[in-house]
Amino acid sequence: MGQGGEQFKAISPAEFFYKNKEIAGFSNPARALYQTVRELIENSLDATENYGILPTIKISLRELRQVEEGAHYEVVVEDNGIGIPPKYVPQAFAQLLFSSKYVLRQTRGMFGLGAKMAVLYAQITTGYPAEVIVAPIKSKHIYSFKLKIDIRENKPVVLSFSMTSNVSGRHGTIVRLVTLGDWSRAKQRIYEYVRRTAVIAPYAEILFRDPEGSVVLFERSISKLPPPAREVLPHPHGVDIETLKSMLQTQSVNPVAEVLVESFQGVGEVTAHRILSEAGIPSEKKAGELSDREIETLLRVMKNSKDIKPPRADHLSYLGRDIIVAGLTKIFNPEYANAITRRPSVYEGHAFIVEAGIAYGGRVPPLEEPLVLRYANKIPLLYDERSDVVYKVLERIDFKLYEVEFPAPLAIVTHICSTKVPYKGVGKEAIADVPEIEQEVESALREVLRDLRSYLLRKKREIEEVEKAVSIAKYIPEVSNALHKMYGVDPKVVSQKLLEILNSKLKTFKIDSLSDVVVE
Amino acid sequence: MTEQREFVSKVDLKARERALQILRERFYEVLKDVMNGKPPKLIIRKRTLSNTIYDSERGLLLLGEATFERSFVDLREARKFMQTMLMASMIFEALSNGEYPTIRDLYYRGKHTIRFRKLPSKTVAEENTWDEQSESDSVIRDIEVHTNVLREEMLILSKEKGKVVGEMKIRSGDDVIDLSKMGHGAYSIEPTPDLIEFIDVDADFVLVVEKDAVFQQLHRIGFWKKHKAILITSAGQPDRATRRFVRRLNEELGLPVYILSDSDPYGYYIYSVFKTGSITLSYESERLATPKARFLGVMMTDIFGSSKLGKKPYLADEERRNYIIKAKDRDIKRAKELKEYPWFKSERWQVELDEFLNRKVKLEIEALASKGLRFLSDRYIPEKIQIGDWIA
Ligand SMILES: Nc1ncnc2c1ncn2[C@@H]1O[C@H](COP(=O)(O)OP(=O)(O)OP(=O)(O)O)[C@@H](O)[C@H]1O
Ligand SMILES: [Mg+2]
Repeated sequence: MGQGGEQFKAISPAEFFYKNKEIAGFSNPARALYQTVRELIENSLDATENYGILPTIKISLRELRQVEEGAHYEVVVEDNGIGIPPKYVPQAFAQLLFSSKYVLRQTRGMFGLGAKMAVLYAQITTGYPAEVIVAPIKSKHIYSFKLKIDIRENKPVVLSFSMTSNVSGRHGTIVRLVTLGDWSRAKQRIYEYVRRTAVIAPYAEILFRDPEGSVVLFERSISKLPPPAREVLPHPHGVDIETLKSMLQTQSVNPVAEVLVESFQGVGEVTAHRILSEAGIPSEKKAGELSDREIETLLRVMKNSKDIKPPRADHLSYLGRDIIVAGLTKIFNPEYANAITRRPSVYEGHAFIVEAGIAYGGRVPPLEEPLVLRYANKIPLLYDERSDVVYKVLERIDFKLYEVEFPAPLAIVTHICSTKVPYKGVGKEAIADVPEIEQEVESALREVLRDLRSYLLRKKREIEEVEKAVSIAKYIPEVSNALHKMYGVDPKVVSQKLLEILNSKLKTFKIDSLSDVVVE
Repeated sequence: MTEQREFVSKVDLKARERALQILRERFYEVLKDVMNGKPPKLIIRKRTLSNTIYDSERGLLLLGEATFERSFVDLREARKFMQTMLMASMIFEALSNGEYPTIRDLYYRGKHTIRFRKLPSKTVAEENTWDEQSESDSVIRDIEVHTNVLREEMLILSKEKGKVVGEMKIRSGDDVIDLSKMGHGAYSIEPTPDLIEFIDVDADFVLVVEKDAVFQQLHRIGFWKKHKAILITSAGQPDRATRRFVRRLNEELGLPVYILSDSDPYGYYIYSVFKTGSITLSYESERLATPKARFLGVMMTDIFGSSKLGKKPYLADEERRNYIIKAKDRDIKRAKELKEYPWFKSERWQVELDEFLNRKVKLEIEALASKGLRFLSDRYIPEKIQIGDWIA
């Protein structure tokens, strides 16, 4: 018992995150502006591409007034997504830990925090409420909300609500916030974020207007969407004791065997019976009647069972070669671009897929190390790059083996998609080094690098051949002239003949005319 | 041109015609290849040490049969190919224009800048047809080997170095020259000794002296008159004309040839260049070397005597101390090299070289002249010839 008479109390999630903003990436005005833009864009992309809609997203930042720590900015993000049913809007934007994404499905969002952190930060720094305008698909109305968060209770406060008729039949969401930010210090990151988003989502049209009035349009360069992410049941290898307990509880009157079949992927009747008999639990026993000991045994047997099919990966939304290459091409216009998608793999019961892409040359700046663009579930990861698993892998790759000599114009894309990405924090900036993921990242990188190597070797040979051609062709006039002096032959005829002979010896390159090489 | 020709000697005209014809024939392959759409190439005998062969039977250093291909489309050979063609056409032009270029003239005449564009950058770059004279000289040698015609025969001139006097008349160009009427001077051996015609000769032997000064001393005291000799100097390393001239005296007139050089490895090697040819230019030996040339001295055993050969020294102890010079490291090194050359492998030469390596001293011919010019001209030379104290 507390000797000093300590006080005990519970705080709401809103209060917790209000006090610990940095956990979610809102540590200072600059970072908060970046994080706000990011969270809103990611929600917009989730609301479009997962439903077969080619995203069109408009982002606008406007400075309202300068204050001591920076300035107040109006942030508006508009999308053509599925919208939100009006009855959920207050919670979706003003109640922390409320999400439609708490299911096993690969989406950008996963914590139920992003939008709310942006609203919360705006509210506490400027006092402005959030404005949300939604038009769900086929909705006859457009709904407008002004919302605030009751921080103590973690409850939405609806300041105003209105409805207009949806004459144009459009759908989507507009979010408007007024928040404290520091554009000059966030500018570079925000641009980088938008640009990198455009790389990974070349199927999106993104219009970005910055506080200085500059407008950048990232046009759609491919109209193919990645396969939509689908929801899956958890895999027995990835379950924990609490999840298992709650599953059994919600279906407490059903036989446990049936519950296993219904709640897990990879578990059929046969497997369910085998697992239960191994755990010494009768198959017909009602789910709600299992003792704690039985549940623990069941969990252990499930986790260790080798006969269960590996987790399904067909619900994952990977990008595929075409989209990655289209994105790289759009941004860098490189001389070489390629990408590969690894076969699905598993860590701790979660399926994941690693993709890697490479752009070489073009607008890629020649640097002393590769320009690394990291992505997880299509989110660009910008901060904390040195602690990311990708860097751990890059450190042990000897690029000379792949014919890359730094400084080199080499950009590398890595994309890890999974129903559960092991982020190092809720700010979603770095991925923890899970051995299985590390292994796959390395294999993916080496695979694309091997292809780059053959390209570079081919190019080197071609350059060598061009050099060879020139260093012989430049002598043609001398030789023709010599033959002309000795035999009276027309030097032009001889030169043409010599050029043809030389060209016939070249494989990858021809000299069209001697005047390309010889300067009179 | 025709008017000029009237002043040019007939032998020159004939030589020109011959050289032109051979050049045209030997390079015709190149033209044929080009016109047939084949990569043009020259197949030339290699002028490398490994392709230099000592023909012990004939006593000559000769070029072997190994060849290399100089193809225009071969990156490593393209420049050389261009240079060879450029040089061939310049020699051709000089021959047909009745000119007498030197190798230096040819170097300057062919040297110009090639301007070209690098691809794909299209930046303009420059390159000279050749930079150093060694480059143009090298293709001249290739052309000599390829056509089997020496540069003299293509009327390419070089500096005259060798000199000759003696009881002898020659025709040089359209003139007859009496080599016994040169006063205190001497006849400079022309760069094209093949065009010389021997008319009257009254001599018993040929004496070639390495040193110009000693040549002059022997000339002034009338050595050649008294001993019926043709007296020649190569003034150091012999040039091609001197070697060719000596060879013709030996071959065509049957005169024995004696060589007198310093007593050190460089002197010995000068003798061997006369006799067997030079290592770097072995393709010329066939025409320039005199395999029957004899080394008269100065020998190590002339200085120190030899109990093995039952030979008394020409120098007394006291004189030796005054005249001999300590051998340098590079002399020792060079002597060791000579010892290994097949044409120095004879027992007699090994005695001399061993003596040199033992004593580690050398002696210049001038030293013998200092002992007394009379001693040199009336005792040392005639006595050694008479008793046959020379190395064949
Ligand atoms: N632009 C939008 N269009 C449609 N639905 C949206 C939009 N923005 C937010 N939502 C809904 O509101 C919910 C809450 O969003 P929020 O960003 O707070 O959490 P999240 O995206 O689920 O998870 P995360 O914290 O990882 O971002 C989402 O789950 C989604 O259902
Ligand atoms: Mg979100």
